[in-house]
Amino acid sequence: MCKEIKFRWLAVVVAAFLSYGVYATETLRFHIGKSASVEEIEGWDIDVRPDGLGLPVGLGSASSGEILYEEKCASCHGSFGEGEGRWPKIAGGLGTLSDARPEKTVGSYWPYVSTLWDYIHRTMPFLQPQSLSDDEVYSLTAYILFLNDLVDEDFILTNENLPTIILPNRKQFVNDPRPDVHNTRCMMDCIAPGSNLSWHAANLNVTPKSLPDTLPKENDGETASFMVDASVIAVYRSSCAACHDAGVSGSPVLGDQVAWTKRLESVGLEGLYEHATNGYYGTNGYMPAKGGNLDLTELAVKAVVDYMGMMAR
Amino acid sequence: MAGTKDLSRRNFLKRASVVSGAALMTSSQLWANEYSPNTPPNVPTWMRKTGQAVGAFPYGVPSPHESDIVRRTVPWLTASPISSVSFSPLHALKGIITPSSLHFERHHSGIPDVLPNEHRLMIHGLCDNPLILDMDDLVRFPSVSEIRFIECPANGGMEWRGPQMEALQFTHGMLSCSEWTGVRLSTLLAEVGVRSTAKWILAEGADGAAMGRSIPIGKALDDVLVAYAQNGEMIRPEQGYPIRLVNPGWEGNTSVKWLRRIELGDKPWHLREETSKYTDIMPDGSARQFTWVQESNSVITSICPENPLKNKGYHEIEGVAWSGRGKIKHVDVSFDGGISWKPAQLKGLVLDKALTRFSFNWTWDGSPKLIQSRAIDETGYVQPTLEQLRRVRGVNSIYHKNSIHTWQLSHTGEVKNVQRN
Repeated sequence: MCKEIKFRWLAVVVAAFLSYGVYATETLRFHIGKSASVEEIEGWDIDVRPDGLGLPVGLGSASSGEILYEEKCASCHGSFGEGEGRWPKIAGGLGTLSDARPEKTVGSYWPYVSTLWDYIHRTMPFLQPQSLSDDEVYSLTAYILFLNDLVDEDFILTNENLPTIILPNRKQFVNDPRPDVHNTRCMMDCIAPGSNLSWHAANLNVTPKSLPDTLPKENDGETASFMVDASVIAVYRSSCAACHDAGVSGSPVLGDQVAWTKRLESVGLEGLYEHATNGYYGTNGYMPAKGGNLDLTELAVKAVVDYMGMMAR
Repeated sequence: MAGTKDLSRRNFLKRASVVSGAALMTSSQLWANEYSPNTPPNVPTWMRKTGQAVGAFPYGVPSPHESDIVRRTVPWLTASPISSVSFSPLHALKGIITPSSLHFERHHSGIPDVLPNEHRLMIHGLCDNPLILDMDDLVRFPSVSEIRFIECPANGGMEWRGPQMEALQFTHGMLSCSEWTGVRLSTLLAEVGVRSTAKWILAEGADGAAMGRSIPIGKALDDVLVAYAQNGEMIRPEQGYPIRLVNPGWEGNTSVKWLRRIELGDKPWHLREETSKYTDIMPDGSARQFTWVQESNSVITSICPENPLKNKGYHEIEGVAWSGRGKIKHVDVSFDGGISWKPAQLKGLVLDKALTRFSFNWTWDGSPKLIQSRAIDETGYVQPTLEQLRRVRGVNSIYHKNSIHTWQLSHTGEVKNVQRN
């Protein structure tokens, strides 16, 4: 590190005076750190801009994207991009943005195709981020454009044509005009007393109540099996349902007798406890440890596995 | 524990409401009737033995009797707890510092387990000297410590269409305030030699979401920190261990956690979290983008659904106010739903882009009230009413709902979250 600092010294000082321009709020240099090599930057520089800067050379067709999509995306986003449960809807919704319930999808809302490529590439599929090849990302991007009726089924997306595709909503984004709402510091008679008579309260019964206290504790009984009750179902809803309601990421669906029996026969109940507690990578999917909720006690995890097993009987 | 507490509180309220036609009993009158071996004249049991040894809790834990003061989640709000949010228990917090353990959480792909020895911050792009810094490097730079709030712009977002959550924790709890220690980003940018063509930075996290945001260079060189410590200790994993950006006054999402990369560029990147999300849709279907600043806001915390009043008489009304544009200048309170207002006192430290606590000495006569607070910041901006916000922005913009909040206090002492029809 020291060698590099010496090596850089002259260049840094010159740069400080020549090219720092109007932003030279700090002139002090500390000569700490090591220069980033081209290879190091290439490995980490994953972002893609609307003008195509950052896109790797590559291509993918909507039709090849369809196969990948069904395998890796449909369990959350739906076969037609309609979104399962609360997972994001990614297709349709065109013309709904001024409706009472706008549907914000790639086709109806997103301003740039580059955002879609970048997002799939940096973090999808949800449980296996940065696992897709560049061409797979081109294919999936093309297929999602197809799901939004923006390209044909035989369309091939490339690094060349991606920046030329204009999404319908691009022009609807404006910069922040705030402060846009102006109140005054009135102290007396600020609103007419009559206008102040009608109030309504939040009586929807959707506020979680003391959830942590309903979770099974380590000392709450001898075996997990005795604890299949409302609190276990609450754990299932909060930590397991996101995947096991719909079979996301190869997970056995709650109540699917065949799928659960198969697993019980192959690894046994202890094996299921183990996978649920510590996580598991299979050929078809992935189970995050404790469903991603590491606050759960081991006994709570076992109880919820028992519950899911019971539902499959 | 909470169950028992709630029950006794409920019983109390029940009993209280029975007698409320005349006058409320004070809690001391009520509790005095309940025998305990630990209350006078008896000597408490914990005085008649020794307690836990020194070092019994090498990293201290709160009293077990405070176990219901925790971050909570709203399970129906998000598809998965891996990409979700937890809320700070504002109703139970004092002063302006949020305990690190109770700082609200928002993760887009869970909490990564980052190895500090192998974590790197890369700064590259339109600069003369792209750098890679490890943790040893980062702590060598001159450091600063600053108290700043961080607020998710979706705070209060569940309340645009009407009152929904029956708890302060869920109406305002995506808000926390810490003392952050780290290096000014401007110090690091000087080190790489920013080119004059650089107008934006991209900040990117080392989580599974590789969460990234574009920030204009002016802000990056102004007051942004690359923080490694929070409230005196290394940042918690759920707050970005080992380093995060702290972008004062701007929406929490721009304070990128688990920071691994800063790129200098001439244009914004328009990543997912600044196009598909964190944009504010208006009634005409247009959308506001790059709505960064958290405008002036306030809420009363000492009286709220979690803190009903147990007796008439003196109460200190307390709450917090904050502004992403600077210091809080005034806070006013109303007890009649906004017809008349009285100035509250600012209490303790009044800091730039930090929570500011306010206080109002009040005597409750037992009659129903509509209690509100209204913050004014040093720019003169006055916290708006919900009606004013809705008139301009409709009800679908999700983010940046900073309107005056109303608690309805009933004659029994119960408190509800209400909005005017």
